[in-house]
Amino acid sequence: MGVEYTSVQWNRQKRFYDFALAGGVGAFLLLFGVISKLLFPLITDEILLIRAFGAAAFVLLHVILCIGPLCRLNRRFLPLLYNRRHAGVTMAFLSLVHAVLVIITYHAGGDTNPILSIFKGSPLVGSVAGVPFQPFGFIALVILMLMAATSHDFWLANLSAPVWKSLHMLVYAAYGLLVLHVTFGVLQAEVSPIYVAITALGLVIVLGLHLTAAFKEVALDRSCNDTPGNDGFVDACALADIPEKRARIICLSGERVAIFKYDGKVSAVSNVCQHQNGPLGEGRILDGCITCPWHGYQYLPDTGASPPPFVEKVPTFNVRVKRGRVFVHPKPNPPGTRAEPGVIPVEKIELQTA
Amino acid sequence: MIAQGILLMTGGYLMCGLVFAIPFALVGVGKIDPHAAHGSWGFRLLIIPGTMFFWPLLAYRWIKGVHEPPAEVNPHRCAARKGAQQ
Ligand code: HEM
Ligand code: FES
Repeated sequence: MGVEYTSVQWNRQKRFYDFALAGGVGAFLLLFGVISKLLFPLITDEILLIRAFGAAAFVLLHVILCIGPLCRLNRRFLPLLYNRRHAGVTMAFLSLVHAVLVIITYHAGGDTNPILSIFKGSPLVGSVAGVPFQPFGFIALVILMLMAATSHDFWLANLSAPVWKSLHMLVYAAYGLLVLHVTFGVLQAEVSPIYVAITALGLVIVLGLHLTAAFKEVALDRSCNDTPGNDGFVDACALADIPEKRARIICLSGERVAIFKYDGKVSAVSNVCQHQNGPLGEGRILDGCITCPWHGYQYLPDTGASPPPFVEKVPTFNVRVKRGRVFVHPKPNPPGTRAEPGVIPVEKIELQTA
Repeated sequence: MIAQGILLMTGGYLMCGLVFAIPFALVGVGKIDPHAAHGSWGFRLLIIPGTMFFWPLLAYRWIKGVHEPPAEVNPHRCAARKGAQQ
């Protein structure tokens, strides 16, 4: 929403989360180091650092992957989503340190190019011979670097949100590759089955949360009725179903629509925020504007346009209020077009507030 | 041999991107996106790695004289555009 791009748009909340993030990562690395030294007193410093940074990145990746579905299941996790980007970049940085340390320790100094050396068999004694686990790590690292490099809003706008989102969906490919990287690498070198158990548990948590959230979404879309009446309007919901200054989400024209009730009026806009396609209908009306729950972009409910000097716009829909029900026309108006809000009859407002 | 070739080409591509990134971060970025015209130094530095990956796209937009980021495509925006043309 920035009028001019800066490197990071920090505010109090983001500073707090960044502080917690840095503290958490620092504490993890320290704890990992101390415990490793106690359990394996013979471990060299290089290997200790390699493992600590690799493990820190992998654990942070789990946290990051869980934030999305957690927010779909419970709104209280939304502040984490707002601050997820810096966690992602931190995770990419930790991975890079891990990889650079591995390359310096195992792959540099030989005759072969260090990158080629990663693909030519594993120098780890103890891992099952012939299973090349390092290329998995390498490809995952390339994906993570690509994502970190394009994390600024400039890329979101210039690659366009759907392309940018597809690019960042590659995180799931990276996660899959890393599960292989860890499984084939460390798990086979370590004798203790506890590593297998922890990795499997992580996988189950990530998958479980995603599936639960997905089922909830599918159920929501299924419950939508979008057959228009004679006047072309679709009977969307009962007025009483929409909480004041909030929205009800329905599905129309192949995408979700958010129907807001505020100040005795009803307006409908496309549910898709222009920033990162956050769900506008899960946001609230604050200071007279629909406020996206993800990063706080704002839109006027009747025009779908951000208040000046901002320029974001979403499509609007024509609405009518009749006999306590809300009717929405399925044809979207061009982004930023004013649609006359449906007016709630006065006796209805009194009834509802009574 | 083949692997070496691929590695060399990838390296070459990224180096071209780095060379392109310098004039792009200083001047080009402000041409293709009005929000970036007065972007801070930190912002300009931060977009260099991404520019190394996506430089052909950005170079194309700069040469073509594109002044705005692309409009987003989704079902509602497409339907609205179709309606407006009729
Ligand atoms: C060029 C890329 C990479 C290479 C060459 C590489 C190489 C290695 C090697 C050799 C090990 C075994 C270390 C040892 O126990 O001595 C290892 C372990 C590991 N790697 Fe990577 N890796 C790469 C990328 C990544 C990335 C991107 C992650 C991201 C999260 C990652 C996560 C891990 C983890 C969690 C371990 C296990 C650490 C432990 O023992 O607890 N690796 N990697
Ligand atoms: S998606 Fe970021 S503010 Fe809406």
